[in-house]
Amino acid sequence: MDEAAGDLKLPLQNDCESLQIHVEVHQKTNSTAKKEDIKLSVLKLLNRHSVIFGDYKWIEFDDCFLTNNVQSIAVVDTELQLKERQPISLNKCRLLIHIFHLNEEGPSTENLDAEDEDIVAANHWLLPAVEFHCLWESLIYDAEIKSDLLNYVTTTLLFSDRNVNNNLISWNRVILLHGPPGTGKTSLCRAMAQKLTIRLSHRYRYGQLIEINSHSLFSKWFSESGKLVTKMFQKIQELIDDKDVLVFVLIDEVESLTAARSAFQAGTEPSDAIRVVNAVLTQIDQIKRYPNVVILTTSNITEKIDIAFVDRADIKQYIGPPSPAAVFKIYHSCLEELMKCQIIYPRQQLLTLHELEMIGYLENDVSKLSLLLKDISRKSEGLSGRILRKLPFLAHALHIQSPSVTMTTFLQALSLAVDKQFEERAKLSDCA
Amino acid sequence: MGDIPMMLRKGGHSNRSKVEEQKMAAPRATQPEADLPRSAETGLELREAPAVAVTVALTAQPVAPAPGGAFSLSVVFPGSVTREGCFRFTCEFLKHVLYQRQQLHKSYEQLVCFYRGQLPRPPGQEEDMVRKVYPKDQDSKKCQQVLNDLDGVFQHLEIMFNLTLVPRILILLGGTAVSPKELYEINLQGISVSGTEESLQTSACVRKLFHSLFMADVFSDLQAIPTMGIIVMAQGHRNCGIDWFRPKLNYKVPTRGRKLTVNLSCSHGNSTTLSTCQESNSAWDDYIWFQAPVIVKGFNYFS
Repeated sequence: MDEAAGDLKLPLQNDCESLQIHVEVHQKTNSTAKKEDIKLSVLKLLNRHSVIFGDYKWIEFDDCFLTNNVQSIAVVDTELQLKERQPISLNKCRLLIHIFHLNEEGPSTENLDAEDEDIVAANHWLLPAVEFHCLWESLIYDAEIKSDLLNYVTTTLLFSDRNVNNNLISWNRVILLHGPPGTGKTSLCRAMAQKLTIRLSHRYRYGQLIEINSHSLFSKWFSESGKLVTKMFQKIQELIDDKDVLVFVLIDEVESLTAARSAFQAGTEPSDAIRVVNAVLTQIDQIKRYPNVVILTTSNITEKIDIAFVDRADIKQYIGPPSPAAVFKIYHSCLEELMKCQIIYPRQQLLTLHELEMIGYLENDVSKLSLLLKDISRKSEGLSGRILRKLPFLAHALHIQSPSVTMTTFLQALSLAVDKQFEERAKLSDCA
Repeated sequence: MGDIPMMLRKGGHSNRSKVEEQKMAAPRATQPEADLPRSAETGLELREAPAVAVTVALTAQPVAPAPGGAFSLSVVFPGSVTREGCFRFTCEFLKHVLYQRQQLHKSYEQLVCFYRGQLPRPPGQEEDMVRKVYPKDQDSKKCQQVLNDLDGVFQHLEIMFNLTLVPRILILLGGTAVSPKELYEINLQGISVSGTEESLQTSACVRKLFHSLFMADVFSDLQAIPTMGIIVMAQGHRNCGIDWFRPKLNYKVPTRGRKLTVNLSCSHGNSTTLSTCQESNSAWDDYIWFQAPVIVKGFNYFS
């Protein structure tokens, strides 16, 4: 755990010597090779590539053993530690190699009532899951949200490991992400669960993500809802009892379970709902004693949440719509994908914002398209991540309709699609 | 388990064991599908005359409840068995569990007979009967799917048994692979494997296995459960080269849920058992868990 503690100090220093570089090795599904053997081969490969710039991913290997057993080797999350893009000398850094298999089974469901088979109370995901692969990379935020969240969990684990007295220093293992819809709160929770499972694979055999269906916990019987919540948490408890498992509990739209109790004083709300809030709060207090659990919650309407719950959340992170810089990155990744699939053809070099800044936003043949994209990004400010990710699709559907186009045409279409989004939004608000 | 009310049980499961015994003991011709007993699979076995005299019920110990809802049952064969035999035990046990735990509404053989017409039917009225019993199209499709999935599992299990020693098999009902609702394990570590000539006849051994199961009466006290996903896992050698099963390097046998372990072993001390083979071949940690890539979905008319 000392390594993890080192993580915390990283923002304070920038020299390579003490830098921890995370290397994620995705082992092929049918590979049965031992972790130690793979690690040796990976280290050999990394030795040959002593300097890299930022994140890097290998998918083809000279080594026959790696070709047979490994899908990809990726140096990840360097930008979380280094503000500037700078050469990283792998020989000098501390390399942390995480080898993982993806689970392909998909979610399994948990029913609370044997009679009510149709109502699914929770979805279980075995992590790392194939569905959440690359999700973390696709989420782009401006501030250090991602590294903050990772560091939070690292500290939590460190404190648990050192047996810090929970009565003296209190932490609740609850994270609350709030913000407008479509900003990737739920995705971030899932991605973080996946990421942490991979990072902590040396401590835990696997991770479990339990997505609670809040509405299913309300019973048709008066006064039964509180019991259903307790039952749900009992099932979670069973999973936590296994010390080899890292358990993430995701409660989406948490305001439905923890509606502000003060509102009930008006007398319009049924007292059953109060019992649900009480049950959730007491159960969270129960669960926080266990070292291997993290509770992730999301909400759109924070003012509706009970103050006692908000109080229990260790991190209350606001997740807003992306800034123009983040929009640029999102578009950039979308266009890269379209070029990979040859919908945009021929392939064109797109500069990153950093590179544009280096050349002083000078317009020339190389930077022309990138500058155009920058303009579109500025124009798109205020759109949520969910809309941004579907705009390239809409642009193609509405303005192109041909199997392959040039980058210039596509960017024009994208620009039109952005305009249309704002038009639609204006019309909607007019109606309202 | 004892506190489950009688009415929750599926009809006729409770006082079955003795009756079953008699049915099994008498070799019989194919009966009309409707009233085949649950042990149809063993019934088929029984038509062959047993060549080896098996001392039945002497070694079958009653179910010993262990802490945490775990039960175990030991079956000792009076001699060595073949690899193919080990596969057959697994196969028949899997079919049996599926039927007993209401994941199939008829025994596997009956379903195969219904949907594929593979087994010869007595001529005459059965044409009529089959049509009546024949379910709606969608049910039929679902059932076909279950049978196809099961066939896939059987086929690849057979290949696996040929490729490697298989010390343990898990049948997981419901939940995920790591936290199933119910867990059935076949432990073959005490088995000694030899060639066909020196081995006991497989059919006799299957019969003994089932006799022990009925004597111990392991299924009758259980609550009825809805249909769920069934995962089959098998332990095998790391380098056995099977590619259908997915290796699960981090897998650990779950402790959650109800567990029944069937320990199969051979009493003859002269040949080496599977576990000693295993030790001499390579280290224990070279035996890893493999998971079948299909999740067999339980099937019921009313589901």
